[in-house]
Amino acid sequence: MKATLVMGTACILAAVLPFVGSEYVLSFTVQLYVFVALAYSWNLIGGYAGYTHFGQVAFFGVGAYTGALMMDAGFHWLVAAAAAGLSGALLALPLGGAMLRVKGPFFAIGMFGMARVCESFALGFDNITQGGTGIYLLPVSDLKPLYFTLAAIALGLVLLTWRLDNSRLGLQLLAIREDETAADALGVRTTRLKIGAFVVSAIAPGAVGSLYATYLSFIDPMTAFAPMTELTTIAMVLLGGMGTVFGPLIGVLAMSVVNELLWSRFPEIYLAIVGVVILFVVLWMPRGIVSFLAHRQWSWVPVARGSLRRLASRPRIAARPKEAH
Amino acid sequence: MSAQEMEMVAPAATREAGRGAGTGILSVQGIGKRFGGLVALNDVSLEVERGSVTGVIGPNGSGKSTLFNIIAGTLRPDRGRVFLNGRDTTRASPAEICRGGVGRTFQISRLFGEMTVLENLVAIAHGASDPEAVERALELLDFLEVAHLRDKWGSELSYGQRKLVEIARALMLRPTVMLLDEPFAGINPRLQNRIVDHLEVLRRRGLTLFFIDHEMRIVLEICHTVHVLAQGEVIASGPADAVRTDPKVKEAYF
Ligand SMILES: Nc1ncnc2c1ncn2[C@@H]1O[C@H](COP(=O)(O)OP(=O)(O)O)[C@@H](O)[C@H]1O
Ligand SMILES: [Mg+2]
Repeated sequence: MKATLVMGTACILAAVLPFVGSEYVLSFTVQLYVFVALAYSWNLIGGYAGYTHFGQVAFFGVGAYTGALMMDAGFHWLVAAAAAGLSGALLALPLGGAMLRVKGPFFAIGMFGMARVCESFALGFDNITQGGTGIYLLPVSDLKPLYFTLAAIALGLVLLTWRLDNSRLGLQLLAIREDETAADALGVRTTRLKIGAFVVSAIAPGAVGSLYATYLSFIDPMTAFAPMTELTTIAMVLLGGMGTVFGPLIGVLAMSVVNELLWSRFPEIYLAIVGVVILFVVLWMPRGIVSFLAHRQWSWVPVARGSLRRLASRPRIAARPKEAH
Repeated sequence: MSAQEMEMVAPAATREAGRGAGTGILSVQGIGKRFGGLVALNDVSLEVERGSVTGVIGPNGSGKSTLFNIIAGTLRPDRGRVFLNGRDTTRASPAEICRGGVGRTFQISRLFGEMTVLENLVAIAHGASDPEAVERALELLDFLEVAHLRDKWGSELSYGQRKLVEIARALMLRPTVMLLDEPFAGINPRLQNRIVDHLEVLRRRGLTLFFIDHEMRIVLEICHTVHVLAQGEVIASGPADAVRTDPKVKEAYF
């Protein structure tokens, strides 16, 4: 209930912002949406299924290039974004089939390598991608539709995660994270679930990559495949809480605000300060802010995965007739 | 026993037996397994009769857990075959074997730590709606007298509580055979007896129980048939009383 109220207020704020906000506020918000989309996508495979990896930026970058090339060829930016989302999924399908066999550091680092491979393709195929020069696009005249598209993707991912968190599918992904061998032995179809989660986790990054290229009206390999994008996304999810509904959102908000404040005041040491903040959080609450609060069971924190508990707390007419009265 | 209790643990369907070799619900034939140079299992064959309580005993390192892991599909044998209800499941995946009616617990607890007890049970339910799965989970927790643990995190539970919750979790899928790897190890006799009572109720409802233990007392007390493993080989099989007095067993075990 409280969560619904907060979300509703946030949505109304987001809706009026492009009409009243300054240029600066708008660009800050666009960045925010991009990171919400990336963090929630990464949360699906890294947080829920437990397959953390350092290569999500590959989908962002491939999406950015797919979209940029399509816009260059005259397609509308919205069509380009849809195609870019698809390109993310199409790249993730064979990758997932091949790489999700290996667990732990091999998958995590292997995906990092994949992002570097994609980056060198973008650099190398310069007759298509213009190499390091990058692709310049015609700027869109009105940024509002772009803003709302990004906002819708961000909101959609939050809602999707909320649905997942309250479903058995979500529990099965968590079971893979907790103990894949046991999950498998107990009949959970682990292979198709983790590949599915991986493919879904690549769609929004692809689409958002294209939208970001539209926003900048430019893309080059450094921007598209920036390791900073990857690290910031992961830090946000870690900070907020992996495998939770509101963790990524809290992580994105906290890190973005802190980054913004530090960046303007201490530009030269801001990365170091962010690093120290993350270090403290990881040491004191290794499972992130949201999980930390959930385990304390404070009454004002919404209970994680509440729908099952609500079901369990219903009076059970068949089994316990006494309690039904 | 009420009709509902009956429904709770009775197998979803009684399957036809006898297509493959072997007469039991579970038939293990000529299994061999090496880990590098170490022979963990050497030509192990045994039958588990439908509705029986069958035990495997043997000293530490005799290959008991390896045998269970092969039956459950977690390990691949080098040689031999496993039949479940007459169907060859030697190459089947653990998930397939589980869906074919084999429930299992682990020697070392494998509860999902960052999930509540209720979630541990509901997560693996399939072919049922959420309310049905929750209902069944609550019934099983009631049955094993651990309903009060419902909202505890898996990682919070004591050793004995884990054993009980693992049994409840394995029962979620209405297995026809339960593989229990040392369910009595390291817990106090009172809790041991409670588990024995629960298992007895389950058996009366038609569940086949196949378990490992090195706790001789319980195995000889409740098992119809006992197989004795030593250094990867079955050295004796038969009714508990016969096995108890078998000279080869005495030599290997005492
Ligand atoms: N994954 C493995 N890799 C190597 N050796 C193993 C492995 N699993 C079991 N073993 C060895 O196989 C033998 C049988 O082990 P196990 O089946 O666990 O015995 P038990 O359950 O009867 O105590 C032991 O010597 C053990 O060290
Ligand atoms: Mg063992």
